[in-house]
Amino acid sequence: MDSILTILIFFPALAGFLGFVVDKNSAKAYGVAVAAIELLLSLWLWAKYDLSNAGMQFVEKVDLIPQFGISYNVGVDGISLFIVIMAALITLLGIILLRDDTKKMKNMIVSLLFLEMTMVGVFLALDAIVFYLFWELSLVPMLYIVGAWGGPDRVYAAVKFFLYTFAGSLIMLVGLLATAYLYHEATGDWSFSILDWYTLELTETQQFWLFLAFFAGFAIKVPMFPFHTWLPWAHGQAPTIGSVILAAVLLKMGTYGFVRFSLPILPDASVTFTPFIMILSIIMVIYTAMVAFAQKDMKQVIAYSSVSHMGVIMLGVFAMNAEGLGGSVFLMLSHGIVSGALFMLVGVIYERRGTKLMSEFGGLAAVMPVYATIFGVMLMASVGLPLTIGFVGEFLVLLGFYNVSPLGTILAGTTIIIGAVYMLVLYKRSFFGPLTNEKNKELKDLDKRELTALIPLVMIVVWLGVYPKPVLEPIDNSVKLLLTQMEKKAISSETKEAIVINEKEAK
Amino acid sequence: MLEPVNISLEALNLSTLMPMLIAIGGGLIILLIDLVKDNLHKSLYVMLTILILLVDLGSTMSLTYGATEKGFFDVLLMDGIAVLSQVLVLVASMLFIPLALTSKRFHEYSYPEFFALFLFMIAGFQFMVSSDNLILIFIGLETASLSLYTLIALHNRSNSFEAAVKYFTMGALAAGFFTMGSAVLYGISGSLELGQVAVAISERMSESGMMILLLGGAGLLLAAFAFKLSLFPFHTWAPDVYEGASAPLAGYMSVVPKVAAFVVSMRIFEMFIELEIHWVQTMIITLAVITMTIANLMALVQEDVKRMLAYSSISHAGFVMVAIALATDKANTGVFLYYALFMFTNLGAFTMLWVSRHKDRVHHARFDHPYEKFSGMIKIMPMGAIVMALFMLSLAGVPPFSVFWGKIYLMSATVDAGYLWLAIVMGLNSAIAAYYYLKLVVYMFLREPSKEINHETVYYNVSKPLLTILGFAVIVTVASIFMVNPLIEYINAMVQSSNFGI
Repeated sequence: MDSILTILIFFPALAGFLGFVVDKNSAKAYGVAVAAIELLLSLWLWAKYDLSNAGMQFVEKVDLIPQFGISYNVGVDGISLFIVIMAALITLLGIILLRDDTKKMKNMIVSLLFLEMTMVGVFLALDAIVFYLFWELSLVPMLYIVGAWGGPDRVYAAVKFFLYTFAGSLIMLVGLLATAYLYHEATGDWSFSILDWYTLELTETQQFWLFLAFFAGFAIKVPMFPFHTWLPWAHGQAPTIGSVILAAVLLKMGTYGFVRFSLPILPDASVTFTPFIMILSIIMVIYTAMVAFAQKDMKQVIAYSSVSHMGVIMLGVFAMNAEGLGGSVFLMLSHGIVSGALFMLVGVIYERRGTKLMSEFGGLAAVMPVYATIFGVMLMASVGLPLTIGFVGEFLVLLGFYNVSPLGTILAGTTIIIGAVYMLVLYKRSFFGPLTNEKNKELKDLDKRELTALIPLVMIVVWLGVYPKPVLEPIDNSVKLLLTQMEKKAISSETKEAIVINEKEAK
Repeated sequence: MLEPVNISLEALNLSTLMPMLIAIGGGLIILLIDLVKDNLHKSLYVMLTILILLVDLGSTMSLTYGATEKGFFDVLLMDGIAVLSQVLVLVASMLFIPLALTSKRFHEYSYPEFFALFLFMIAGFQFMVSSDNLILIFIGLETASLSLYTLIALHNRSNSFEAAVKYFTMGALAAGFFTMGSAVLYGISGSLELGQVAVAISERMSESGMMILLLGGAGLLLAAFAFKLSLFPFHTWAPDVYEGASAPLAGYMSVVPKVAAFVVSMRIFEMFIELEIHWVQTMIITLAVITMTIANLMALVQEDVKRMLAYSSISHAGFVMVAIALATDKANTGVFLYYALFMFTNLGAFTMLWVSRHKDRVHHARFDHPYEKFSGMIKIMPMGAIVMALFMLSLAGVPPFSVFWGKIYLMSATVDAGYLWLAIVMGLNSAIAAYYYLKLVVYMFLREPSKEINHETVYYNVSKPLLTILGFAVIVTVASIFMVNPLIEYINAMVQSSNFGI
């Protein structure tokens, strides 16, 4: 089965088309079935994935516009493999968590399935234009999900989300076109293949400007400080499923873009820009953590904490060594799982009470013990407690980044402390203390539907926290290959020095 | 006493004249039929027109073309872009004319004169694009324009008359600019053929005062074409005229006259640019940038979808104008690729307005197509809303829909020519434009329908021919990714075998 990647990408879209025919009362079951098949397919991909091969596997290439060098080109390596599996998993659990009385259920399922196509497509694309195509298309279903099922300001939030990312990615598009032109100048052929671009020699000035162009697209998506202002709006207004997918998968497109495009195509500029990225990331980590602490709304706390952790991922990406980069790819997964779960949990309580304000709660642990436990586990994972999934990635990133800047590492490390503060305060205010609010006394604990969605995430949090090797190893292999390519391609000796592939070399 | 002229029939190369003759002859046939028998149904004329256009298309495609393929006393030039633009004009016309077959009766289409004028207009455009002689270009331009003014006025509404008169006055001014500009070029070179004009200019370039003359010539011609292409600051007629014209005609006007004007601009201005007169390039780039930006900003504040689409067409024209300034083969290919793809999407969007056209203004006292009319359309006619949203996303440049490919091809041509900043300006303008396209999508999908909107008022004018045209437009918009490569190949071959006045 050589075309498994194509099936993975287009199966949800095809199912989405057919979904128009399905009766609206059966739509949710249909969505769950399709998403489950997609997850099984992605797990099968993992099973067939050759662990000893760090490069691209299952590569498919079909010329689309040979006159202009555009081809349908997909492939998977250790970096994208697990993100794809996570996207499939989160989509499935998100659909399971949808309430049966969601209005316009069929439209919701169809949009989610289209969204799944674009998410999987972005992570598997090896052609810049195909990547861009899925990248932009992902905005459309998300616009609809936020705009149709969101809170009172949903239309504003949805349009803001769309325009912000659209503007950034158009500048990125100019960067992509310029890279293709430079490739044409160098070789005489038009090509948008990322793998071809990995072999392209660029001068430092060219890299500098291209890096900025790519940065505009990716940084808005991450979102880096100071381009993060759309995200609290989007999270604040989005329905639970929207926030879950946004935080878990869509934001990873940005960091993935840095890993797939900026680092290997522009190694020298990446090293030049490291201090700049470091400063922005550290501001992002500390500032948004403090903002999170000041929030009264549970969902906003989670939203800002999610941004704060994205800053740690960015630090890892620019650590330029196997620990940092591998750790940040792992952290992308764990961030997806943990923040996805946290948004689901907030959604659960919002459905029961119709409010997300912490002041409305207190003493929930007494009436909803299972809920409180799961919330506690996810909170610990978010803070980075050892033996949870959050610890592994965060530890590796900080370890890796220590080689670059000990001071930066210490500052970024405060995220664990501030994170613990605001998360524990949130937990204390909502779950402990006396049960004062009358309305909370009648609350029911998690039902079967919610448990089905949440228990798998808890299991993954513990499993990968205790034994991350099966995931970490393929990531590590691919990351090392990527760093080797970068080092080979780098022109200045400083860049070669900055890139550390394994510990021995450092000594 | 004039000398007798001896020219053999072969040297006249009369076959180059065939496409125009077919259109004119077809128009005359339609008038004759009307003379013989009154009160024939419009469907007869529509089908006849389509058949004539088909024959015309066939004869155009079978022409021998080449950079030096001249005909009819050497005033006709059948090079690649002449044939290519004629094909575009004819295909767009064939998409347009079935839109006359609406379920409600709009009286202009019951006049056979409408169809005759329409064919004369096409002949005018065909003359205009397939000549490098300034006089013939002028005659073609005026034939086409005069017919078009009348077609607009036939819509028989007070604001249609206003639109026609406005367009006529502006068009007359543009014609004045064009003749004065041509006169200056004639004064410099003693010839009206662009090839000889170019030779004369390059010989006399170093003479003192020549630049002032050229500034007059190029400036006047640029102003004339800025009127036709609705470039800033000569764009002000466009929204009113689009609003006054019937929706399909407005859609048609945003494509066909512009394609013709772009072809002539290519011939004239790329001549100046290749003669290395740099300020012409600077002028065109400035105009293009201001046009797309101003039009985008104006489109943001429109309350009427048709006016919004009018401003958006202006902005698209500004976007494409960049290619004229670049004057590379890739940029010229981009112009045709852009319009070939934009044609289907834009005509589709205007057709959706036509479908929802009501005889009375039920939604708004001033506008036919206010945004409110489309609010909650997903609940009333889901397919209509999805199709319209497709067109809007395509116009906004969301991949993989049609206009996106035109956009990246042009942006890529801009990057290749070394104008990175210009490519970024083009990108940012697309981002601004996304807002007003999205606004309509938001109205259709995310708002509740208002009371007076129901299936009857929105779906008022629909008929099978309209749905067929919409079907074509949707297929091309969605599946364009598979058509881009053959299109680029064909267009590129045509552009290669063209003569840009040098």
